[in-house]
Amino acid sequence: MSLAQPRPEIPDYLPEHLGAVRQPGPAGEVRLQVTTLGFARTSQMLHRAGARFVTLLLAQGPEPAIQGAFAMRGDLVVLSAPVKAGEAPTYTALGPWWPAARWPEQELAERHGVHPVGLVATPNLVHPEADTLDQPIAGLDVFSLPYGPVRSGVFEAVQFLIETGGEDVTHVATRPFFKHRGLEQRVVGMTPTEAVHVTERIAGISTIAYSLAFCHAVERALDVDVPARAERWRAVHAELERMANHLDVIAKQAETAALSVGQARFQILKERVQRIRATLTGSRFGRGALAPGGVRSEPTISREELLAEIDGLERDLRSDRWRFLRTASMADRLIGTGRLPRSLAEEYAAVGPVARGSGVSTDARHERPYGEYRRLGLEVVTHREEDAMSRMLVRFGELTESLRILRQAIGHLDRNGTGLSARLPFGATGCAFGWAEAAQGEVVMRVEMRDGLVSRLHVASPSLRNWALFDQAFPRDVLTDFAFIEHSFGLSPAGADR
Amino acid sequence: MLGWIARGLAQGQITTRYPKTPERPVGAFHGPLVVLDASGADRELEWFCPTGAITVDSRRRITLDRGRCIQCGECVRAAPHRFAFAQRYETAARHRQALIVGTRDDPEPGEDRPALAARARPLRRSIHVRHIDTGSDGAEEWEIQALWNPYYDIQRLGFFLTAAPRHADILLATGVVTPPMRAPLERTWEVMPEPKALVAVGTDACSGGLSAQDGSRFSGIDAVLPVDVYVPGSPPPPIAILEGLLLAVGLLADST
Repeated sequence: MSLAQPRPEIPDYLPEHLGAVRQPGPAGEVRLQVTTLGFARTSQMLHRAGARFVTLLLAQGPEPAIQGAFAMRGDLVVLSAPVKAGEAPTYTALGPWWPAARWPEQELAERHGVHPVGLVATPNLVHPEADTLDQPIAGLDVFSLPYGPVRSGVFEAVQFLIETGGEDVTHVATRPFFKHRGLEQRVVGMTPTEAVHVTERIAGISTIAYSLAFCHAVERALDVDVPARAERWRAVHAELERMANHLDVIAKQAETAALSVGQARFQILKERVQRIRATLTGSRFGRGALAPGGVRSEPTISREELLAEIDGLERDLRSDRWRFLRTASMADRLIGTGRLPRSLAEEYAAVGPVARGSGVSTDARHERPYGEYRRLGLEVVTHREEDAMSRMLVRFGELTESLRILRQAIGHLDRNGTGLSARLPFGATGCAFGWAEAAQGEVVMRVEMRDGLVSRLHVASPSLRNWALFDQAFPRDVLTDFAFIEHSFGLSPAGADR
Repeated sequence: MLGWIARGLAQGQITTRYPKTPERPVGAFHGPLVVLDASGADRELEWFCPTGAITVDSRRRITLDRGRCIQCGECVRAAPHRFAFAQRYETAARHRQALIVGTRDDPEPGEDRPALAARARPLRRSIHVRHIDTGSDGAEEWEIQALWNPYYDIQRLGFFLTAAPRHADILLATGVVTPPMRAPLERTWEVMPEPKALVAVGTDACSGGLSAQDGSRFSGIDAVLPVDVYVPGSPPPPIAILEGLLLAVGLLADST
């Protein structure tokens, strides 16, 4: 770059001597170009300025580059360090000083052939083996208990190595990736409309949120405006999904506390939500509801019937919630259990109810509002007690908030037009990030489109980001607390493993 | 605690009586796919299916493999006069071949409900079920868990969940088989005592679904172990899984 050129504006939290160059990008995405040598230093500056780590990836378009995404002040700051063709991509690892970057960095190294210098590696992370115990045992009279990947009960495959002296849990190491299905590679060469079927199945329990993040990325890459009516239906589907997930977590907590009637009550509420979703979309998980550009079809159920269902849900939820929170055997197990200090949640870039239960206010719907949430007011529910109860209160608060959003979105359906879908430009090329708030936290995806087909997809899942933190949530807890803490996190192994 | 009991009693009875009485799907539920008109189809129809469930032969007749179908609806949107979603929950079949339909207008729906109900009777209160996830998307787990909720209450038919495979009669397997889950799947099956039945729950478990392509490292359950009952669906609804369990009970009853 010649000196005569006017200096492009860079954000004020980055000193000018770092040489970051701002590039055009869709709204909400601040694209900065740095060199691979300056990548770690610039990341460190962002870290100091209060950025939250989101993801690391190897991009192919518009040019091969190592990219880091960070959430900051209502923007997604994307650092891009171009790599030369034919050279092994390398940069200085962020993991040694930023714990949140460790797992993504190791995935980048082992799956994409990038060589971060000074990588902090967890043995067998990316290619787990059920029978190897690689954690050194911490002390005398302590044994390691491998729990999973075949769990007791009906749970997804994930393994925990629990170190315990018999009662106190001294250390937990989670091993994800038992169910890595290579879905990011699967979509390559598909049209975006076809690829949605794959992204719906990355985390089945968050079908809508994952497909929404994908749709947003495609729409931003191709500069497509979604009709307002479609955005409202998307919000309806997304909030119903959030409710089903939160009710599921609450029912599981009640089950763990052997509170049978409470468990049954919340299972009934969840089943009712699932049936409303089946009535709206034909699928109990909202599959086939969304497509890039809008929604595929409009539910046939009348507005009044839908509102009546929602009123009924709210009535029962309110009394069950009151009883749940007043049940001493429930509260005893949750209060003070699985304490997660706010500083740790920030350091590990926690998202979703896990972060909000430790007093960190982060919600993609509020930070970088999308779709209908740009028009709706949103109360981000936070609690600062940092324990399992705190995370439960966040979920209860969000259930109430979801009901309010549902009413608002349904009530406004008829404003601004009846269009349900915008046409995607034919054979277009582009790349962009897209995001959506799942019940587990913020899902971020980066899509590269070439000649109308998906040429690359990167998924940053909230479950994987929160899982690194799960290992830290056992400061003074005993073995019988394990299930409570696990459910209070409410993560999706399928989403983490992809 | 008394408050909870009062709540429970106030609810009244909501449990389904399936398989004694049929269970009607809610609203416009997307059940298994049916071929309305199989003849005179264009080859291009195959392209609409992301999992290769639709094939058109040289006589231009459509064959549909429900074991591969993920109910995405692309074909229903492309050719509504040829494909439609059935208005029912049940999808289970005893043989992989029975999932391949199209030459008949509608396949025989397996066994009728009274026969299924009769099967559960001799083994009443004695069926222990174990679940293994070999690479599902997580939705199948929710639908299996739902079987124990008050709407389906599968315990009324004598099904119990067991933590130990050594106590299990039926193994429910969900998802494609990923390389790290292959050995745990084989070992879980191996330690289960005879007689035992293996139920593949979900399209991913039946055929590999979207994840299994030519030359991929992922496969359906039957590439690793012999499957006794297939329950396709993405995910199959709780009633379909219950039907699959009852079919498996029949197998166990026959072999004792």
